[in-house]
Amino acid sequence: MEKDIILKEVGKILIPLIQLFGLYVIINGHLSPGGGFSGGTILGTSLIIMHLIYGKEFIMKIYSRKRLVSSLSISLIFYTLIKGYSFLSYQLHLPHPSVGVTGRILSAGFILPLNIAVGFLVASVFYIIFTIFINSEV
Amino acid sequence: MRKISAVLITIILIVILLIGVKDLPDFGRAENPSNNILSKTYLSQTTRETGSLNIVTGIILDYRALDTLLEATVLFSGAIVVLLLFKS
Repeated sequence: MEKDIILKEVGKILIPLIQLFGLYVIINGHLSPGGGFSGGTILGTSLIIMHLIYGKEFIMKIYSRKRLVSSLSISLIFYTLIKGYSFLSYQLHLPHPSVGVTGRILSAGFILPLNIAVGFLVASVFYIIFTIFINSEV
Repeated sequence: MRKISAVLITIILIVILLIGVKDLPDFGRAENPSNNILSKTYLSQTTRETGSLNIVTGIILDYRALDTLLEATVLFSGAIVVLLLFKS
C-alpha cells in the first residue's frame, strides 16, 4: 500500500523530533515534570507513527519481534536488579550511589537508570499492543 | 435460578460496601487520616533524601518503588499474554 509523499516527508522531519522529546522527558524525569511512564508513551507513539506511515516491513528491519520482546524483558530485569540492590543496600549497609548535587542530570542515585528502564518497557508495551490490534500478530 | 442467585450476590455485595462506607470519616475534618504528617514530610524531605527535584518521581521511584515495580510487571504480563493469545 503506497502512502502519500507529503506524509512521508513530514514524517521524516517530525519522527526524530518526537523521539528526541521522548528521550528528553525520560532523562530529565527527576528534574522536570514527566518520567519513565510519560516519556515511554511518547517513544511508543513515535513507533506507532512510523508503523502507520512507512508500513510494517520498514519498522520490522530495525525493530523486529525478537528485539521487541527482548527489550521488554531486559528492561524489566534491569529494573528488578537495580531496585533489588537498592533495597538490599539500605538494609545491609552496602555501598550505594550518593544523592549528588541536586539539579544535575547525573544525580539522584538510582532514579535515572530506573526511569530509563521504565521508559523502554512502556514504549515496547505500547507498540506491541498497537501492532497486535492492527495486524493480529507482531 | 441463575438470575435469582445473581441478584442475591449483588445485594449482598452492595450491603457489604455500604457498611464500609458508613465507617468512613467525615469530609474535611482536621484529624482525618488524609491530613496526617505524611504529605508534609514528603513535600519537605523528598528533594533532600532522594535528590529528585520532581517530587512525584522521587515518591514513585524511591519511596514507593515496589509499587512501580509491580505496575511494570502488570504491563509486562499484559503484553506477554496478548502476544501468546494472538500468536499466528
